[in-house]
Amino acid sequence: MQNPSTDVLRGTLDLLILKTLTLEPMHGWGIGQRIEQMSRGVLDANQGSLYPAFQRLEQKGWIDSEWRTTENNRRAKYYRLTPAGRRAVGTEAASWRRYVEAVEFILQTT
Amino acid sequence: MGAIKGFNARLRALLFPRAAERALNDEIQFHLEQEIDKNVRLGMSEVEARRQALVQFGGLTQTREAHHEVYAARPLEELAADTRYTLRTMRRTPVLAGAAILTLALGVGANTAIFSAVNAVVLRPLPFPNSSQLYMLWEENPEKGWYKQVAAPANMLDWKEQVAAFADVMAYSDAFGTSTLIENGEPTIVRPAFGTGNFFSVLGARAALGRTFTDAETWRTGQSIAVLSHHLWRDRFSSDRAIIGRTIQLDGQAVQVVGVMPASFDYPHENTDLWQPWAWDPRNRERVSFRRAHWLNVVARVKPGITPEAANAQLQAVVKRLQRDYPATNRVMGAGMTPLHEFLVGDTRLPLLVLLGAVGLLLLIACANVGNLMLVKAADREREAALRLALGAGRSRLVRQAFTESLVLSLIGGVAGVSLGWWGTRALQAMQPAGMLRVSHFDFDWAVLGYVLAITTISGLLFGIAPALWSSRRSPQDALKEGGRSGSQTRRMRRWGERLVIGEVALALMLSVGAGLLVRSLIRLQHVDPGFDPNGVIVARVELPGARYDTGEKANVFFNRLEEQLRGLPGIEGVGSVSDLPLRNTGYSSDFTVAGWPAGTYGSEVVHRRVTPAFFQTIRTPLVSGRALTAADAANSVPVVLINEALAKKHFKGENPIGKRIVFDKEPDSTSVWRTIIGVVKDQHQTKLSIEPVIEVFEPLAQSATNGMSVLARTAGDPAALGPAIRRTVAELDRSLALSSVETLNQVRATSLARERFLTTLLLLFAGVGLALAVVGVYGVMAQMARRRVREMGIRLALGAQANDVRWLVVRNGLRLVVAGLVIGTLGALAATRAMQALLFGVASRDPLTFLAVPVVLVMTALVATWVPASHASRADPATALRAE
Repeated sequence: MQNPSTDVLRGTLDLLILKTLTLEPMHGWGIGQRIEQMSRGVLDANQGSLYPAFQRLEQKGWIDSEWRTTENNRRAKYYRLTPAGRRAVGTEAASWRRYVEAVEFILQTT
Repeated sequence: MGAIKGFNARLRALLFPRAAERALNDEIQFHLEQEIDKNVRLGMSEVEARRQALVQFGGLTQTREAHHEVYAARPLEELAADTRYTLRTMRRTPVLAGAAILTLALGVGANTAIFSAVNAVVLRPLPFPNSSQLYMLWEENPEKGWYKQVAAPANMLDWKEQVAAFADVMAYSDAFGTSTLIENGEPTIVRPAFGTGNFFSVLGARAALGRTFTDAETWRTGQSIAVLSHHLWRDRFSSDRAIIGRTIQLDGQAVQVVGVMPASFDYPHENTDLWQPWAWDPRNRERVSFRRAHWLNVVARVKPGITPEAANAQLQAVVKRLQRDYPATNRVMGAGMTPLHEFLVGDTRLPLLVLLGAVGLLLLIACANVGNLMLVKAADREREAALRLALGAGRSRLVRQAFTESLVLSLIGGVAGVSLGWWGTRALQAMQPAGMLRVSHFDFDWAVLGYVLAITTISGLLFGIAPALWSSRRSPQDALKEGGRSGSQTRRMRRWGERLVIGEVALALMLSVGAGLLVRSLIRLQHVDPGFDPNGVIVARVELPGARYDTGEKANVFFNRLEEQLRGLPGIEGVGSVSDLPLRNTGYSSDFTVAGWPAGTYGSEVVHRRVTPAFFQTIRTPLVSGRALTAADAANSVPVVLINEALAKKHFKGENPIGKRIVFDKEPDSTSVWRTIIGVVKDQHQTKLSIEPVIEVFEPLAQSATNGMSVLARTAGDPAALGPAIRRTVAELDRSLALSSVETLNQVRATSLARERFLTTLLLLFAGVGLALAVVGVYGVMAQMARRRVREMGIRLALGAQANDVRWLVVRNGLRLVVAGLVIGTLGALAATRAMQALLFGVASRDPLTFLAVPVVLVMTALVATWVPASHASRADPATALRAE
């Protein structure tokens, strides 16, 4: 936590959540942990901002949710990708890559 | 799919905000606990772990807020808020809201009533199974000018047997007048319809009780039978279920009741009391009269899956064969088929559609008026709107709110309109000329309610457009400045108001021109000389039962005695009788030829009526030449006949017809009766005032007997007062006779114009309401203008303008709008009234008088509407006016 952390842009957060959920359905805390782990602590999502993002994605129909019991017998809300969400991961990732390339290009040329 | 889920989530959040919040809290709670657990595992103290978890999570409140924003179900929440807001403002300005709702209710109510009639008569299918398979078959004869006419029985039977595309063909008629039913010694007039044995089965109708006819009962079976209508069974037989198999006395004959129909069955007419099979003599089939006389309404059911074109092609093949096989009767006899519904609706369709168009215009006027009210209201709230804009409300948000307001208003107006329409529907049923609308099928159904909902929503959108567009285009700076009274704003708003008024005036003009044309047409009709004097005459219809009056002699004796008795009543100036009343129906028609004409030449379609000698004198139809009938023209004297002027003009050009001998056969033979023409009488309109008199002959009852006569009595006093005396006199002569009707000749004349009057009254009513709404609109806009320009008027007056100048200024402004509306309306009316041509008599659809007079009336009314605000403005006190604002 002492690491310098990067604020995650809104649109990026959505993409990261979707990507994380391609593996398996997860609850909110788990998603936050996974994002942090996978980015090796670089991306430290403001955990509070995860929840509005879940609602956004749910409204778009890309994820849906249900209440389940965890392995330690706690009730938690699990999110999982819908088929539309699975398709969206591809297109969102592609547009993200284009964006990164464009920024990289500008950084190199100037 | 996703969108639906998203919407569901929103809806849940809107409906159960607590539950949504609780779920979020649970979720966050879970998150924090996990985080704390993790932190503890990493070696933090409990307190530190909790602190870190909260820091890591970020602001709890922000999350909740952000969550709420995403989840807020915005459009729905806004809708609810806007609706509440609208209702609140309506309560604050009840007069304005009331005026708008009343205006809308008038428009929607008129539409509801007329549409329910259109729905019942034109749109809804006939109440028979697979009714689209039913076709009316008719005959035509170009030589006689017959088109869509009744058919001859022998031809009908050939179609039934030879056209394979028809599942079955039936024939009926209700043109046989009335019968007398005697039940418990009390006579009642009933209206029978006669049909072939398959009359009911072709329509697909079943008896509610007992049975209908069998196919064999088309022909004589030795037993007279009848099927009763539900209303006759209920009213005359107390709904007695034991009626089946019982024998009733009909025209002195014993008739066995075999069935009772359900209340819903009313074919061919609502007032059909009972049905009887023809019971034809089987030998008729070979008689030429069975193919020569045309008197059947024929209905065919086309086999399923066969197109009408294919069926018609087969019919035409049979028609061709009949023309070849029976040249004497069928040489040029054509036939055709029309969907039964279309055939029955026929002449009711156009008037109803015109009325529907009229109420449509009325609704548009109402919308324009309400739109204007909304504008005024919007202007009064301009500051509030400007403030909201300045504080960052979206323009689209304001537009949405404007539409919500108008939709809420239109829905309330719609509900009020439906109630008004329900009442209007009852009124239409009560007012309608007998038989015009199919009353028993005349009710609210889903189609009517759907239509009302549609027009209500459309109206709401229509009158919401002006305020919405206006509110979306305003700039907050302008609006806030000078309390929202900046010049450009007011001008824009005024322009919208003016556009609406121009539209209203144009629509009102179209409506009024339509009504004006009908009024002119009705006046023309009322001035048509019917060929007799209808004032002071009472008419009683007498039908003598054929069983007891089985010879012409007996009938003739009865009518002579009845006339004698009536002449003895006090106050009677004359009594005469005729077989078919003028302006009601024609007698039968035939071919004829005249002695002296070249062999083979003949005339067609001469109408026959039977009269007693005093008929023409009683009804005051003058004798043009020759002599009148007298009692001496008896059964055993020389057969004589009177002709009308139309016949004299058409077939005796320049010749004197008196003394000529006429015969009513195409090719006279030894059995033909030659009659001597003894006189010419002035034309009477036989069926309607709008239809020119046709050629006609009058035979003396004594020489050409019939059992049904209309007896006329002329009096100097009130003819209607004679009714009881006439009924008494008839009862004295024959106790078992019932009169089917007693009415004055003026009533007969009025009834013949009932449809025209009905249509004219309704259109006049709608035009009146439309005009009133338009005038209110003009007044509203002018009053608004005068109020806004009160300061300008004050300055003008202070600078020395005369009150008259100021007044004229306002009036001129008003007239400018009215004239613009009149120009547009005239163009619209020119286009729209063309559709009415078929309803007009003696008036062109572009009648110059109407097109000049109606605008003048409109301008005069508009002048009054602008005068009030104008004089108000002219009285503006310069001092007060200048200090204002």
